[in-house]
Amino acid sequence: MFLTSPNEIVYQYVKEGAPVLFLLVNNEEEIIDANYYAFKIIGQDILDKKFSEIFIDFKEKLDLEKLSADSSKSFMLNVNTTTGLPQTFFFNFYKGVEETLILGKLDITEQEKLRKEILTLNSELNNLTRELQKSNIELKRLNELKNHFLGMAAHDLRNPLGLIMNYVEFLLLANPELNEKSKYFIENILSASELMKGLIDDFLDVSIIESGQFPIDKTRTDLINLLIEGINRLEFKSKKKEVLIEFNYDVNNVILNIDGPKISQVFTNLLSNAIEYSFPKSKIHVNCHKDQNNIIISVKDEGQGISESEQSNLFKFFGKASTKKTGGEKSTGLGLAIAKKIIESHKGKIWVESKMGEGAKFIFSIPIGED
Amino acid sequence: MITKEIYDQYLENLVSGNRNKCREIVETLMKANIDIKDLYINLFQTSMYQVGDMWESNQISVATEHLATSITESLMTLIYPNIFSKEHTGKRAIITCIANEFHQIGARMVADIFEINGWDGYFLGTNTPIQDLINFIEIKNPDLVCFSLSVYFNINELIKTLEAVRSQYPKLRIIVGGQAFRWGGKEIAETYTNVVYIDTLDKLENLLKEEMN
Repeated sequence: MFLTSPNEIVYQYVKEGAPVLFLLVNNEEEIIDANYYAFKIIGQDILDKKFSEIFIDFKEKLDLEKLSADSSKSFMLNVNTTTGLPQTFFFNFYKGVEETLILGKLDITEQEKLRKEILTLNSELNNLTRELQKSNIELKRLNELKNHFLGMAAHDLRNPLGLIMNYVEFLLLANPELNEKSKYFIENILSASELMKGLIDDFLDVSIIESGQFPIDKTRTDLINLLIEGINRLEFKSKKKEVLIEFNYDVNNVILNIDGPKISQVFTNLLSNAIEYSFPKSKIHVNCHKDQNNIIISVKDEGQGISESEQSNLFKFFGKASTKKTGGEKSTGLGLAIAKKIIESHKGKIWVESKMGEGAKFIFSIPIGED
Repeated sequence: MITKEIYDQYLENLVSGNRNKCREIVETLMKANIDIKDLYINLFQTSMYQVGDMWESNQISVATEHLATSITESLMTLIYPNIFSKEHTGKRAIITCIANEFHQIGARMVADIFEINGWDGYFLGTNTPIQDLINFIEIKNPDLVCFSLSVYFNINELIKTLEAVRSQYPKLRIIVGGQAFRWGGKEIAETYTNVVYIDTLDKLENLLKEEMN
């Protein structure tokens, strides 16, 4: 025996707390009553709303008349919840004389499956994050070690090599009576040593760049002088291949605040490459001009050119093109990557323009008035 | 140093699911150069034990317990750059949970304690098939393997895994531990040679220190 009827107890239970959506709709299809759960899930402002407003109805086909034709039939429908996420409920519609009762429940099996999946994914994500962090630190450590070895090896090789080059030069200068064969051998030792020194300098630059410190020491520098000096330094190399360097500039007295030796390194690297990729007896065009904000320097050869697909990789470490140097010269594939780093440190840009069979033009710009 | 005030504030926010506030507390402690072990044992471990107790005594729901676990796991990742960059000794351990368990946080803490003590602690999580575990042992050649058991009913699964590993690597030292052993099973350590039962992170640390000497 109950003081209130079991129906009344169940009604109160549903109204006050049970996780069931309870909505009462009048014949105008307005919501006139709802339970605590509905207020919490759908929102406090559901009363007086049209019943169709609370459902997500992409096709606007929700018809209360049809839905309530058979109260034993469940309809899977979606509602917008207060969290901003839609939720699927299974609804039954009970038609009365003046009102329609709508009851909606969750599929708990589906909810449990989802919960388990989320927990599993969360654990996996946490484990992968751990693994990733561990690998990152391990890689960082290995990279530092590699840079250390690279820097150490390059530095320790540079000094004895300098010594070898000095003595070889001394042998050439101090012994004019050397026969042709001996002179030829000694000259070969010198050019091989120069190549090796270039490689070591590149390695040292890379190890400095990789360590995250690439100091730029800016001073006021006459750019045209710097370019002429660069051309003069490579005159011997170009003459050997009978390649003519033409230098054109429409600016004078260009005094820029730059790291002179490093910009010179970029220019001579481009010019040296241009000589190496030039056919004998061809021309190299060096140009320096000014636009509104930049000084632009270009080096153009008349060699084989670089395919479009390879151009984007040129400025990456070891991003050499497949085009062969015309004199079989060797390179590390580091020079252009170092050049890019130097130019970017000056807030400038470096790029290439080339078509197969039409040579390659390497261009870099340095902003005017950069401190 | 984690004061009672900090701990209470952290626990309150943990149980309320306030991830940002918990993160703020941990970040403040890290900025103050708190000892990582202090953070692990006196904040993460103690609070998660208390959350477990609260769940067992029906003070909080399963969802709240899961939320607290998820927050703690995400906060642990904040400390990883610190833990992993410690000087490593070359010793290696593999830590794994028994298949079909969903409680991995304790085992992850164990893996991190190895890292704090200069070991490489490889954590395989839950649901690693036995063959995959054996393959991983083959690759990493660890000094120790740890099994974590959270649910006592899975003890047979633990024994099965343990025997499979021992049949391939009879000399490999194994540590077992986890909340499940509160209900029994500690005798497993006496049944098998080279198997040790360890019940606290402190005892694990002592064992690791002995290993280094």
